[in-house]
Amino acid sequence: MATDTTWVGRTLLGAVGLVIFFGLWQLIGHYKLAGLSWPPLTSVIDMLTDASRRPLFGRAVSATLSSTGMGYLSGACLGLVLAWSTHLLPPMRRGGDRLAAVLNSVPSIALGPIFLLLLSRDAAPAAVASVHVFFIVYVSVTSGLASASTAHQDLFSVFGAGRFARFRRLEMPSALPALASGLRLSWPAALIGAIIGEWFGAPRGLGILIINAMQNFQIVLLWCAVFLAVIASLTFYGLLTGLERGIYGRFR
Amino acid sequence: MRTGRRLIQDYWGILLILVAWQAWVIVNQFNPIVMPTPISVFDALITDPVLFLENTGITFAVALVGMTGGMIIGTSLAVATWLSPLLSGLVSPLAVLFSSVPVVALIPIIARLLGYNVSTEIAIVVIITFFPSFVFASSGLRALPPGSDDLFRVLGASRRATLFRLALPAAMPNLAIALRLAAAHAILAAMIAEFLMGTSGLGYLFAKTNDEFQTEQAFGTSIVATAISVAAFLLASFVERRVRSHFS
Amino acid sequence: MTGEAQFDPDGPAITATDVTKKFTLKGSGDGVLALQELSLAVATGEFVALLGPSGCGKSTLLRLMASLDRPTTGNVTVCGEPPDAIAARHAFGVAFQDHALLPWLTVYENIALPFKLAGRTPDDVAIREMIVLVGLDEFVSARPRQLSGGMRQRVSIARALILDPEVLLLDEPFGALDAVTRRQMNIELQRIWLRDQITTVLVTHSVDEAIFLADRVLVLSGRPGRIILEAIVPFDRPRDRSVMRSEEFHSLADELSLALEPSED
Repeated sequence: MATDTTWVGRTLLGAVGLVIFFGLWQLIGHYKLAGLSWPPLTSVIDMLTDASRRPLFGRAVSATLSSTGMGYLSGACLGLVLAWSTHLLPPMRRGGDRLAAVLNSVPSIALGPIFLLLLSRDAAPAAVASVHVFFIVYVSVTSGLASASTAHQDLFSVFGAGRFARFRRLEMPSALPALASGLRLSWPAALIGAIIGEWFGAPRGLGILIINAMQNFQIVLLWCAVFLAVIASLTFYGLLTGLERGIYGRFR
Repeated sequence: MRTGRRLIQDYWGILLILVAWQAWVIVNQFNPIVMPTPISVFDALITDPVLFLENTGITFAVALVGMTGGMIIGTSLAVATWLSPLLSGLVSPLAVLFSSVPVVALIPIIARLLGYNVSTEIAIVVIITFFPSFVFASSGLRALPPGSDDLFRVLGASRRATLFRLALPAAMPNLAIALRLAAAHAILAAMIAEFLMGTSGLGYLFAKTNDEFQTEQAFGTSIVATAISVAAFLLASFVERRVRSHFS
Repeated sequence: MTGEAQFDPDGPAITATDVTKKFTLKGSGDGVLALQELSLAVATGEFVALLGPSGCGKSTLLRLMASLDRPTTGNVTVCGEPPDAIAARHAFGVAFQDHALLPWLTVYENIALPFKLAGRTPDDVAIREMIVLVGLDEFVSARPRQLSGGMRQRVSIARALILDPEVLLLDEPFGALDAVTRRQMNIELQRIWLRDQITTVLVTHSVDEAIFLADRVLVLSGRPGRIILEAIVPFDRPRDRSVMRSEEFHSLADELSLALEPSED
């Protein structure tokens, strides 16, 4: 009973917290407490649901989502393959770690123009997203591969398992939970990468909408675009959290 | 010979990128305005070191001040939620929500709200570093050594003593992780803010040289920014290791 | 109802009267009955061991005495007061199976902690004496992670005794140690205990440990916990290893072990 009531209480409190948050947003916007750049929540929702705006938002969201998706998949594959390779070829490990750390430290805004030159205006957002995802996936998979317990390692040695059998039957499965966490954390990072990549001349996307609205003082439009980016982030983040839970249940 | 092997083992990835870059430019016979070689970028860096140093200093200062503020505010709010279960219940879903929000996308909004100047840049860094600090401090304050909370209750410790002698020291390793994450976020956030608002610092220098087709300087700026990010990351990792070995 | 009555120093230091403790689990309607209408009294200066199978509620009983939990029905007093009052005046000494040492403090600082929590200046002389008493004088500034399991428990016992508590509560303090170290620690604990003969309740699942250390052993049944056997230990102190080899020790141990076997229900 006691735990039941606290659970209900927590959920209620959390809901109250959310209501207060959105209520404050509305109040600040309505009474212009933060100036003209803070619109009331209702005007943002009005514009988001306005039928005449729908094609604009639809094009931007689908452009950004497809760049994010492509960057996400390619970055995840690259990270996974490099993590596997450095795991199987230990002399490459330190160099792989350094490469990942330095790539992660290159400021994303500096990546935009480089990919613009190497690839094309359309591909730059996906490429920046891909670099972000690559780092997170590489780091989580390398630590996951190293996490196979010594007891299991000993067991495989006693069975006389070869290097590759050990990798396929023991280390790869034990790295799956870490991979799932990495995939979850990469999604918001991929989205940020795509948005930053779009700032360097992509033809359309949420990043373009954000930067144009910011420079042209289209305040409500700016908030709408950011709102959409947040929703795009949270939706997939939620789905990936579900996937992660499933994998943790199976492999831990 | 030994050091050469060591160098290749540790830095093969980075060397590979540099060599591929140089080769790519030579093979395609790029105009240096479009794509400079690593050597000409290095050249640009040493011809005008003052320009780079000055702007690096500005970006670094913005990142440092903002990060300090963000970590102090984040930790204080975490302590407030530790002291008040009511507050904790109110903000915990919001914290979950915001921890998965692409905060960089909020920068344009903050810029519009606060105006285009240095204090806005600092505010942006504060907001962006606030989230990891709050999340990690909150969980750290509750990650107590086994049995220690019972011990403090039986020994009749006051709330204040429990906070200062148990919860805060126990949160130190987590705060060190937050510091490492915040350090990386802080420099990136400062640069993006400078890039978008065009005030000063490395982000501004990058935007300006990029727009004026001073590609060598633009690349130089990126390399300097990467170097300070790597330095901040290494410094923060060092602090994290020290704190971890002291507090756990 | 007589909670306000003056505490009689010759009367019991700890009493439990008709104590029932029920835990409710999330989702299920009925809870788990950990203790049922249990009553006991511990005299001042007495060393009582609570013995029982795992999950029998003996730790729950200790937590009730330590003010960490409240009984569902019934009443627990310590020195004639509710346990909360004892905690508030910093008069408990406790040691748990998780030694609960703070990893960022040295041995000395860990032992000095109860002074700080009581808002008192640490008594350097008393702390150094205590460190010598538990045989850790060479490890004054060591950190917990540099110590062996047995040494950590010595620090934990020293910390429990440093404020001269009115009551000492020990919850499986040696449960995580190997058999040899455990026996050594039993002999050590007896030596330390003999100095002040503080009223002590020890929770353990080791029959030998209970007999070796206690004046009186109470055996609890499996859930719900009730006292099913009470045995007075006849040996004089200080007891040594030869006691454990005596005929009397073995017959007492057999009697207690028999009571611990799962009952037919």
